[in-house]
Amino acid sequence: MAENHDSGGAPPAEAPSAEEGIVDALLVERSGISMVWLVPVVAAVVGAWLAYTALTQRGPAITIRFESAAGLEANKTKIRFKDVEVGKVEAIELSEDLTHVDVHARLTKGSARYLTDRTRFWVVRARLSAGQVSGLGTILSGAYIGIDPSSEGESTENFIGLERPPAFTSDVPGRTFKLRSDTLGSLDLESPVYFRRITVGRVVSYELDPNGDQVTLEVFVRAPHDRRVRENTRFWNASGLDVSMSPEGFEVDSISLASILIGGVAFETPRLPLSAPTANEGTVFPLYANKRASKRPIIGIKVPFLLHFEQSAAGLVVGSPVDFQGIVVGQVSDVSLVFDERLRRPRISVLIDIEPERVRVTDVEILPERRQEIWNAMVAQGLRARLSTHNLLTGQLAVSLDFHVGAAPAKIDWGAEVPEIPTVPSPIEELKAGLGEFMAKLNSLPLEPIGNELEGALSRLNTVLGDLEQTTPALTGALERAEEALSSIEELVAPDSQVSADLKRALREIADGARALRLLAEELEEKPEILIRGRP
Amino acid sequence: MTADARSFPIGCHECDLALRVPTSARGVAPRCPRCGAAVHQRKTRSIARCWAFLIAAALCYLPANLYPAMTVVSLGNAQSDTILSGVIYLLSHGLWPLALVVFVASVVVPLAKVVTLVYLLLSVQSCSRWRPADRTRLYRVTEAIGRWSMVDVYVITILVALVSLGNLATIEAEAGAVFFGAVVVLTLLAAEAFDPRLIWDRAELQDG
Repeated sequence: MAENHDSGGAPPAEAPSAEEGIVDALLVERSGISMVWLVPVVAAVVGAWLAYTALTQRGPAITIRFESAAGLEANKTKIRFKDVEVGKVEAIELSEDLTHVDVHARLTKGSARYLTDRTRFWVVRARLSAGQVSGLGTILSGAYIGIDPSSEGESTENFIGLERPPAFTSDVPGRTFKLRSDTLGSLDLESPVYFRRITVGRVVSYELDPNGDQVTLEVFVRAPHDRRVRENTRFWNASGLDVSMSPEGFEVDSISLASILIGGVAFETPRLPLSAPTANEGTVFPLYANKRASKRPIIGIKVPFLLHFEQSAAGLVVGSPVDFQGIVVGQVSDVSLVFDERLRRPRISVLIDIEPERVRVTDVEILPERRQEIWNAMVAQGLRARLSTHNLLTGQLAVSLDFHVGAAPAKIDWGAEVPEIPTVPSPIEELKAGLGEFMAKLNSLPLEPIGNELEGALSRLNTVLGDLEQTTPALTGALERAEEALSSIEELVAPDSQVSADLKRALREIADGARALRLLAEELEEKPEILIRGRP
Repeated sequence: MTADARSFPIGCHECDLALRVPTSARGVAPRCPRCGAAVHQRKTRSIARCWAFLIAAALCYLPANLYPAMTVVSLGNAQSDTILSGVIYLLSHGLWPLALVVFVASVVVPLAKVVTLVYLLLSVQSCSRWRPADRTRLYRVTEAIGRWSMVDVYVITILVALVSLGNLATIEAEAGAVFFGAVVVLTLLAAEAFDPRLIWDRAELQDG
């Protein structure tokens, strides 16, 4: 050792002559190795331990591909699962073709078995979507990467990050179903799925078919509500307001205010049949445009017929109902104007689809071969088509099939490309025809001579009236005189007049005379002798 | 060899009794017969102790620079910085005087101390006679500036105590700070363990 270089010096006894007052130091034995060497040993042990843990605690390195690195920072952005930090972004670099960014991250130890091709990554940022606000905390803390680990599937280290957070992480039990629709409507990712107006799921994805014909939506229905989806379940687009007019009046149907704004899908399972099995994961259902459409029976067979009308078809559109005595049996599939070569004028040609499944058949099953026979029989009985008013308010028309006794005989030509059902004019059309006839008759009346004669008669009446006017003054004089005469008579008979007083007196005297006469008569009857003898 | 300076008597460090201390020998420790204090001509095992502390300091130097020294959590956003990344951060924000201070105090000084002490030890052990006066001055400088490296540790300690505003802002000391403190303390101990008289002993030895 270095300090032993000068060891082995002279013992105290051999020291040069001891001077006065100088004492030899005491020599005490001590251990050979200095404890100071523990310090670097401890430092080395700690350092080695740190190096060991740093190497062994390193988790797997992964690469996630994102469209952009908005909000992400190397050595800063964390990867979190249920808000627990499970990793950290180590580097961010652009891809070689500059179309995306590759985020290199290192996860904590032990996470390797959750890194499979089903594991999903997405960037959690503050987001406003489908009526929900999420990730508000990231406004202050900065974005982080969310992970939805899955131990199923093949192990991998390269991932493609989702651009939006998944509606449901894989630890939420439930089932995914596919809906096919003509349009996406107002649906969007995360649009709610309603069952009896309870939100039970979300739209998780949508894509256009390769040929662009239809849209396939994927909806996730949470357990236990996924059991409500049976094979006969009907899904419909519950977006917005569904205003319809029915014989009961106006109906406004909507799931909720939220669904008006952000759209939604609703489903319902018909009560019958009870035995319908629960739908499997991934079952494809049609997405009906509205609730009413979803209630319609599923029609498989459609029998086309052609109708020709010679009247206005304003109000008849594709989809207008075809009814038989008020029951819908089909719908209009085409309305067009066709020039009829034979008649030398255009006619309205209406193509209808009769849906025979809507008609229940009693007793026997009708074979397709017998259909023609039945139709022939019905037409022979007077079955005719005509246009009728379906909705007075909107002027919508419908095609009505009905038996018209006394209709001109007709037959169905089954040889034609599309068999034709004979038509009759609609009631309004008949009314119009009757009105036309009436007007024609009215027109044929000799109105002008009648008018002339009437005019002559009136002028004559006028002259008569003029003569009458001239005779009037004479008449007035006669009347005046008559009035004078009457007033003098009145004066004569007035109660206080002389004549009347005289008359009254005369009458009284006559009455006295009569009484005396009667007394005389009575006396004479009793004693007739006084006539001779005189009074005693 | 017997006529070197160390055979002169010395006073006891505690009771000032004049003593004749033999040159240090393996297995024995000289003591004052009157008060019992340990006495020595030169610092006991100076070179071995110095080496031990230096090796420990060098071992701690790596984690002190590799591990983050401090984590600043502000508004839920945590940022950990090592000493060097802190210097780079200051530089990138144009604060180069501050960056220079931190770099010199935290990186250059501890490293320079270790290197200087290693050189002094090697020069003593190889009985170098090269400019003993300058080497002694080097040692004096090393010992004087050593404690200033603790500035970093003090700053972190004060910040941790001051900035604890919950979610708004919190500063936490990390493992790097502990190791850095250990480096500074160990180099201080190493400098203290070194006995500059050895430089002159060797020089005189060669003269004699």
